[in-house]
Amino acid sequence: MQFDDVHRVEKAKKRAIVNQSEARNRVELFRHLPQYVHGTQLPDLESKFFQLEPIHPSVYKVGLQYLSGEVSGGNGRCIAMLLAFREAIKDYSTPPNKTLSRDLTAKVSSYVSFFIECRPLSISMGNAIRFLKNRIAKLPITLSESEAKASLQSDIDRFINEKIVVADQVIVSHAITKVRDDDVLLTYGSSSVVEMILEHAHELGRKFRVIVVDSRPKLEGQGLLRRLVAKGINCTYTHINAVSYIMHEVTRVFLGASSILSNGTVYSRVGTASVAMVAHAFGIPVLVCCEAYKFHERVQLDSICANELGDPDVISKIPGRADLGDLKNWADNENLQLLNLTYDATPSDYVSMII
Amino acid sequence: MPDMQPLISDFVLKLKRRKVEGSHAVARQTAELLRSVVSQHRMGSTNQAAALADAIHAVGEHLIAANPIELAVGNTVRRVLHIIKEEDISFTAVGIEGLSVTAVSDDECDSGNDDRPTLSAAVLASHARNALRAPSLQTLLDDIPVSTALSHSSSSAGDSDGKSKYTGDKSLKTRKLKHDVIAAIGDLIEEIDTCYDQISEQAVEHIHQNEVILTLGRSRTVKEFLYAAKEKKRSFRVFVAEGAPRYQGHALAKELVEKGIQTTVITDSAVFAMISRVNMVIVGVHAIMANGGVIAPVGMNMVALAAQRHAVPFVVVAGSHKLCPLYPHNPEVLLNELKSPSDLLDFGEFSNCMNFSTQDGTPLLNVANPTFDYVPPKLVSLFITDTGGHSPSYMYRLISEYYSADDLVVRRKSTS
Repeated sequence: MQFDDVHRVEKAKKRAIVNQSEARNRVELFRHLPQYVHGTQLPDLESKFFQLEPIHPSVYKVGLQYLSGEVSGGNGRCIAMLLAFREAIKDYSTPPNKTLSRDLTAKVSSYVSFFIECRPLSISMGNAIRFLKNRIAKLPITLSESEAKASLQSDIDRFINEKIVVADQVIVSHAITKVRDDDVLLTYGSSSVVEMILEHAHELGRKFRVIVVDSRPKLEGQGLLRRLVAKGINCTYTHINAVSYIMHEVTRVFLGASSILSNGTVYSRVGTASVAMVAHAFGIPVLVCCEAYKFHERVQLDSICANELGDPDVISKIPGRADLGDLKNWADNENLQLLNLTYDATPSDYVSMII
Repeated sequence: MPDMQPLISDFVLKLKRRKVEGSHAVARQTAELLRSVVSQHRMGSTNQAAALADAIHAVGEHLIAANPIELAVGNTVRRVLHIIKEEDISFTAVGIEGLSVTAVSDDECDSGNDDRPTLSAAVLASHARNALRAPSLQTLLDDIPVSTALSHSSSSAGDSDGKSKYTGDKSLKTRKLKHDVIAAIGDLIEEIDTCYDQISEQAVEHIHQNEVILTLGRSRTVKEFLYAAKEKKRSFRVFVAEGAPRYQGHALAKELVEKGIQTTVITDSAVFAMISRVNMVIVGVHAIMANGGVIAPVGMNMVALAAQRHAVPFVVVAGSHKLCPLYPHNPEVLLNELKSPSDLLDFGEFSNCMNFSTQDGTPLLNVANPTFDYVPPKLVSLFITDTGGHSPSYMYRLISEYYSADDLVVRRKSTS
């Protein structure tokens, strides 16, 4: 949706379920992306929980989880969404004088727009929704309602199993061959696939070291670090500024991706491009692990045309460092803007291999 | 000398405990300390310059050892040593020339004396220095008519010298040498202080209208540079990367907004994403090495690589007190300092992980928190110093002007 077109934004607001208030001090370059004040929607939605009839409660629950940031990461969000849809389909009953496929498609679309209001869709979710709508449209007319519902549910289960679970296992088995003894592996942020690879390699008894690189504001690496150390893997933790310092020890870089685009660009967490660039400068192979269902036929050259803007207040507040309160009232000053990007696009020449 | 000891140890302690930080403050205090050392030094009868240099070597060794990463200390010590050498050479040269010139143009000399009453010893020394140096780009571009000025000034001083006979009056010579050195160190201190102004004057040449500038962390030189451009009514926008783990970018952003400059604060991870829309990267650094490479706050190498990838000029602004004659061998390890892990990880949260260890006793969790980053010279487009703009390959020339080669290792020579 074009967020810099005022009329469209007005129309969308009228239909919206979630009341979003626009952020102040928006960065000019990103006017085409939505930016809202965070923290206001959650209590509002919670109060409406029992009033919202058209939204199925499990869908509502998942939407709230997105909004609060509890569920994050491409695979996690996609699975949560599909399971919510599964529940919704189970409880669905066709109203009279309407065909199942058309009505169900309309319902799914309304759920999707609710999700978008909570948090813009990731590419994996987009692909999954397209698959589901396709299946609904392809339902033969002759099927009864219960059979149709059962078939859709089994389709969803199959999608999750084939495209995500099994795909992850295949990726892990391929990637294990690339991990040798005495390797020093670097990873950025927290990717579910990369975590699986590292744990599996450790179980197989390979001796290696992991370097976890983290960045603000999400600090996802800390969660990954905790899980890896709990498994007994030897880890080093740094922040993204120190990649040049640490890169001379590294033998391989494993990165996860949110999506891989048609021109080979890797669309993933902001900062991945910098890590890949520094690894390339040092001549270290960069391996990107991504399931096939996340691929997309779009092309993108830089990180500005399509991105997601996060909460800018998170930049001004630094947890644990109360003395650095320089940017406390940043919104009052019209000359000052804070920018919190969520994704960035890594050019294809930095990537050595895609698994 | 003994009454200097408490001052020296006090300063050494401050350096060790990192109470004094930042190249400007360190360079200034080192220069002032050395000036006091010179003024307290009792000049012997023979070979004063070497004795003075030896004293400086002794003090300098302690200072450098206190904080080897703070290269400004070593730079200032070596500058002072070079000054002593130069003063000594120019002094003897002036003495000799003074003898030969005394007879020449007495009437000119008188009028010269009226027109130019006391030329300070510093001016005399600098003229002598210029005459002695091999013709460099600096001297060729300087418009001072060196020979004429020298003859005028030398004649006025040469009178007193000629009368007193070169080989004769030692006390005058010793006092003059010390006086010259102290004056020159005073010049050095002034140079350190005014470097911001001189660099900022060049700001307008480099920043045009509607420019987008990226910087990382906080540097006072960059701040003054941008202020000067804003004074001259250039409109530009600045992206400030916060510079974890010190987050000084926040402070810089606040200061820039107070002057009315459009600023956007981004996280360090977003540098690659935003740099495609940036016209120029302007950064301040910790030290400039002899090969043109740069020791900068951590994260700068990433910015420099991204700038190279997107063909964005990477401009380094630095005062000449940051220019170091050493060559960076393995700079990540030798010229770096690792700070506390608590900047990155909260000890309380990760205490359960910290106790974990493998059988052979090595801890499972390491944290790396380096302070500095090395940027190779090929990534830097331009250096802007108080002497003007230079390319990285020109740095060796500036070094040969400010330092002498045998001062590279500062060590007390065997005492006589």
